[in-house]
Amino acid sequence: MTLAFYALLFVIVAPVFGGLLAGADRIVTARMQSRVGPPLLQPFYDVGKLFQKQSRLLNPIQEPLLLGHVVMMAATGAMMVSGTDLILVTFVFALASLLLVLAAGSAYSPYSFAGAERELIVLLASEPFFILMMAAICKVTDASTFGAVLASPTWVAFQLPGILIAFLMVATIKLRKSPFDISTSHHAHQELVSGLTSDMSGRLLAYVELAHWYESALLCGFAVLLFNWSIPLGIGAFLVAYAAEVLVDNVTSRAKWQLVLRSTWVATLLFAGGNVLALFVVGR
Amino acid sequence: MSFFSKSPWIFHYDASSCNGCDIEVLACLTPFYDLERFGIVNTGNPKHADILLITGSVNERNIEIVQNLYRQMPDPKVVVAVGACACSGGIFARAYNIQGGVDKVVPVDVYVPGCAARPESIIDGVVQGIAALEQKRKKTA
Amino acid sequence: MSSLISFLIAFPLLIGTLLLFTWWPKVRNLIVVASCVAVAAVSIATVIQFGNGNGVFFGLPGGVEPGAALIVSEIAMTAFVVAISIYNRRFFAPVLALIQLGIALYLELAGKLPEADPQRLFWFDRLSMVMVLVVGIIGPLICINAIGYMRDYHRSSPMVKGRRNVFFSLLFIFLAGMFGLVASNYLPMMLVFWEVTTLCSFLLIGYSRTDETIGYAFRALNMNLIGGVGFSVAIALLAEQPNGLDLAMLTSGPVSGVLLLAVALLALAGITKSAQMPFSSWLLGAMYAPSPTSALLHSSTMVKAGVFLLLRLSPAMAGSSVGYLVAFVGLLTFLFVSLVAGTEENLKKVLAYSTIGSLGLIGGCAGIGTPELVWAGVMIIIFHAMAKGLLFLTVGTLENRLYTKNIENFDALLSLMPRVSVLMLVGIAGMFIAPFGIVIAKWAAIRAFLAVPGIAGAALVTIMAFGSSLTIFYWGKLLIKIMSARRQSDYERSIERRISWYEWLSEAPLAIGVIAATLLIGPLSDNVVGPWATAAFSAAPRTFLTMDPAALLIMMAAVVFLPAVAYWSWRHPNYDHADFYASGRSTNNAHVMGMALGGIHRVSLRGYYLSGVLDGTLVFNAGTLACAATLLAMVTAGVVAR
Ligand code: SF4
Repeated sequence: MTLAFYALLFVIVAPVFGGLLAGADRIVTARMQSRVGPPLLQPFYDVGKLFQKQSRLLNPIQEPLLLGHVVMMAATGAMMVSGTDLILVTFVFALASLLLVLAAGSAYSPYSFAGAERELIVLLASEPFFILMMAAICKVTDASTFGAVLASPTWVAFQLPGILIAFLMVATIKLRKSPFDISTSHHAHQELVSGLTSDMSGRLLAYVELAHWYESALLCGFAVLLFNWSIPLGIGAFLVAYAAEVLVDNVTSRAKWQLVLRSTWVATLLFAGGNVLALFVVGR
Repeated sequence: MSFFSKSPWIFHYDASSCNGCDIEVLACLTPFYDLERFGIVNTGNPKHADILLITGSVNERNIEIVQNLYRQMPDPKVVVAVGACACSGGIFARAYNIQGGVDKVVPVDVYVPGCAARPESIIDGVVQGIAALEQKRKKTA
Repeated sequence: MSSLISFLIAFPLLIGTLLLFTWWPKVRNLIVVASCVAVAAVSIATVIQFGNGNGVFFGLPGGVEPGAALIVSEIAMTAFVVAISIYNRRFFAPVLALIQLGIALYLELAGKLPEADPQRLFWFDRLSMVMVLVVGIIGPLICINAIGYMRDYHRSSPMVKGRRNVFFSLLFIFLAGMFGLVASNYLPMMLVFWEVTTLCSFLLIGYSRTDETIGYAFRALNMNLIGGVGFSVAIALLAEQPNGLDLAMLTSGPVSGVLLLAVALLALAGITKSAQMPFSSWLLGAMYAPSPTSALLHSSTMVKAGVFLLLRLSPAMAGSSVGYLVAFVGLLTFLFVSLVAGTEENLKKVLAYSTIGSLGLIGGCAGIGTPELVWAGVMIIIFHAMAKGLLFLTVGTLENRLYTKNIENFDALLSLMPRVSVLMLVGIAGMFIAPFGIVIAKWAAIRAFLAVPGIAGAALVTIMAFGSSLTIFYWGKLLIKIMSARRQSDYERSIERRISWYEWLSEAPLAIGVIAATLLIGPLSDNVVGPWATAAFSAAPRTFLTMDPAALLIMMAAVVFLPAVAYWSWRHPNYDHADFYASGRSTNNAHVMGMALGGIHRVSLRGYYLSGVLDGTLVFNAGTLACAATLLAMVTAGVVAR
């Protein structure tokens, strides 16, 4: 019963957390550019407005795919906190991300399609890391669920320095920050228009936003797993990392997809793979 | 409750302006004016936008483009014509290829005068556009 | 039991011979359909009679000794290989075939071959049951499909001389060989069936008899004969050991010494048959055969014989150096072919790479050999057989309608051929979307590899991480293409109406099978796959089906609801239609866009391929090299163990 409660808690709290984070992000970004920036609740106003707009789409299966994207994102988080095996969680996470790719790609529009293909590339770039990270976490704690990792006496982050480094890099992808925001981002004036979301309007775009909030919360959950000795510490670490991402976002420009894929894979192999190797060789 | 006044997203199109007005539009985004304070985002994509901001007069070749962009915006939507050229054709009005103001091809809700239109008046125009947006929403709702 | 299995072997053989001399298409179609129904019915009857026990042993009806028949068929097959090779001026295959025959004759004439126990010729357990169902149900469906496919095939390639009597004859002879193979316990007998499938594959690949396909056919023959030689040497080694030729006794637990060497050689045979690197190139060449051949031999059944043998050997090699190296061959193959698949535009080749990859995954599972892993391996066999068979058949259908196999030409398939697209979507989902079998299997594999100590464990986990991400990439690309939509022309609307009933009747049941297996994965695991793994390893697999039913339920719900909602919104389009954005240019939903200086342009979108970051050929060769080295190490490990 408590597990079901945690799941419900995630479904309700995660979008609030993600939305506030997005609002804070915009303020911090504005301050970095010596602007004032929008109110903290701006992302909620935006999504509220999108639900009031007309929704037009190119292909009738886009809407179910996007709805599925939101629901699966929420379900991924809910499954994670309610004790599903962590490695399975990464698979469901990938599936949830894939639904967004399909929704955009099925529009058959040049910009959406290019965005979708690029999103697929970044999915390919990030996925190995998440599997390795979960595998490493399970390995050091000898646990397989969220609760068990939190209960474990092992301090995960101390044994996974390589994973931490690679996490920073891969989180850039998932948070859609430069230089890895090749599929879409929140900034205007880009070579891909809005990439992935170019042909979505109204509630369709709102779904994407909502799912992104869930995704941020999910990443925060991953950070909590890494800093498993205290939940506030994990959230704090995530916020610090997020601030760093915002800084990087502001000082870099987009990379080409080849560079994104190569650099992420090399980092994953070097830092995450090396870390896992060390665990297997030195560890118990 | 309506969120339109809190989150009006604009799409800026340069018809055939001299780029004077465009520079002023971009000036609105700079730290000095910081349009984002009001939740305004320059989307660069008509499908995400609520307000179509057009600078410059309409010429023979881009009539189709302006109409398409307008058509592709989801309802409710408003058009703000920025600068003398967009309002009436301005200094280019009698050129061989110019149709005239934006209102020759799409319905315009707010006219922002000036050559170039000043950032303050552009912001004012957008704010009036928001009011028009609210009205249209009420009509459709 | 005994009579049913004998029927399953003898009947298709008989029909195959009959079909060889049936030149009249109408009569042939009738015979094919009728015998397909018979084969499927008897397969099901066999399973029903088997019930759900742990494994039974039996011989031929009346306790007949197979000895003489085996030698005679081996001589006949060798003679055939020698003759056809010399006719085509190829000299490697006959050497291999003669070596094999030499070993067999030596053992026989020198009296080295111990008497086979006539009551232990066959071994039927739950794994055989799974395989009999795969061969006996998917096989006939594909044969039925072939009737429609071959008609269109000959219509669209008039240069190929029609020899459809030979084609169908071979399909049935192949089925006989497969039934014998999966039920064999006595290794020399298994070898004969093994060679029957090799020969059928060889002849079917070369069906069109162009220089190109003959080349590929011989490549397949050579590589499979290498495996056959390994098999023969293993038999020669095992003949010296007490009860060595009895597969069930050989694999009842970990082995060492000469037995381990023999197991390594048998594993080599399994690796060649399942086209793992360095032997992968034969399966790619085999893609030039007519599509039902690819579906039946080169994805659903014959290549499964290879991993079937590996799974059988799993308890014997688990924990040994040979086992580890088999696992590495499998997983390296999985990784490398997945990389190459990301660079490939030819859908049939992508399917082939994905098949090799899945087989590699099963090989990896069998090599490490824990109850969870072999459980996963069998699950992959089940799902892969149905899903990949279905995909190959639908690709065949597309090929004969759209005249292309290139992924980039499948734009808007969902509006062009909605029914075929749905079948393909089911097939693709079956291949890689949770909770379909293969994802669960990957999960189980990573879990089990975490327990493997040392560098090996780290490498296995890392390979899995990269490999399984790559599968998402290449399937995702295909899904995007299929799911896009556009307005059709009248011509396009008529395409799907010209697909024959033979094709619908074979593809739809496979799709239903994939869905049913997904929904019934719990009972499937509890009653069939789980108990088999328990019996093979004397320990029950701990799978997440038992550990986490809630997660399964959530994913099931997703799998059921998402397509339902999608179908509903497809039929009841409750939305405002928009045209795609092209920077303000006029566009419409027939993928057409107005150009700046007048005129219109058909938009065509091309996806990203991994060829942008790596060279497919280079990766393939690197993989081949790496796996060849691993394989060499495997055999060496066996020799050292001796
Ligand atoms: S109104 Fe003046 S500044 Fe603006 S576009 Fe026209 S000429 Fe240029």
